[in-house]
Amino acid sequence: MVTARRLVLDLLKPYEPDVVTFADAVAGIDGVTGVNVVLVETDKEVQTVKMTVEGDPIQVEIVYETLEDLGAAVHSIDEVVCGDRIVEQSKTPQD
Amino acid sequence: MRSYLRRLARALEREDVRSISRRYFISNGFDGALTSVGVSVGAYLSGIADGLTVFSIGIGAAIGLGTSGVWSVWEIERAEKRAELARIEHAMLSDLDETRIHRQQTGARKVNALMSGIGPIIGVVLPMSPFLFEGTLLSMRTATLASIGVAVAILFTFGAYLATISEQSWVVAGARMGLAGVLVAVLNIVLPG
Repeated sequence: MVTARRLVLDLLKPYEPDVVTFADAVAGIDGVTGVNVVLVETDKEVQTVKMTVEGDPIQVEIVYETLEDLGAAVHSIDEVVCGDRIVEQSKTPQD
Repeated sequence: MRSYLRRLARALEREDVRSISRRYFISNGFDGALTSVGVSVGAYLSGIADGLTVFSIGIGAAIGLGTSGVWSVWEIERAEKRAELARIEHAMLSDLDETRIHRQQTGARKVNALMSGIGPIIGVVLPMSPFLFEGTLLSMRTATLASIGVAVAILFTFGAYLATISEQSWVVAGARMGLAGVLVAVLNIVLPG
């Protein structure tokens, strides 16, 4: 099973269940140490949210299954950190 | 069975489910109580001499109204909730079958249908119960009056309950609902047939 230290996801979700339920459900997964959910955009029937998950380690498949069960669709994986420690992105000349 | 009941209890924790269930319960309970007034006054005026017969007629009405309450709400809520899910699926561009929102809708539908069926059963069976004492404690006349009294009391309770959730005067709201029972009894007496 793929594991990660940090996962940043762009999600499309219905209004219900609300973001609190989403954050709580993912925070309850074994290995997850913290979850942050930020509302990015609200449409008529759906919301776009950015979810940041950190854990030691995060079981990625279980996070996906939980989100799918809650009715969310993963639009994109915006950041993944794997390995023994969390590595922040480094600056490059292009930045 | 226990998990089934737990799912229903979880559905009842949601305010939107409680609100819709409350409407069905009160609306169909109102129908049931007024039907029972019609049955009891009609039975008395048509000269039925046996309380048990009137009670049996009332139970027939309760079965009919209870079944109608469960069945109609089951179908109404199935259509409404499917339409709601289809709207969300259209916006999400994905299938939401077997997700939590789908399971929540199914649970909500069961609670709505159940409450819709319980309302008229309470609304009919309780007002009909004085007829069980006809011949021992009550005459047909007093059983009919007691039946109307119980129906009006149920209607008053419905009104008072609605008042408590909408911050109205419970006495006024209860009296307004109870008046409907008295009106049905009077109409049964004064209208021909």
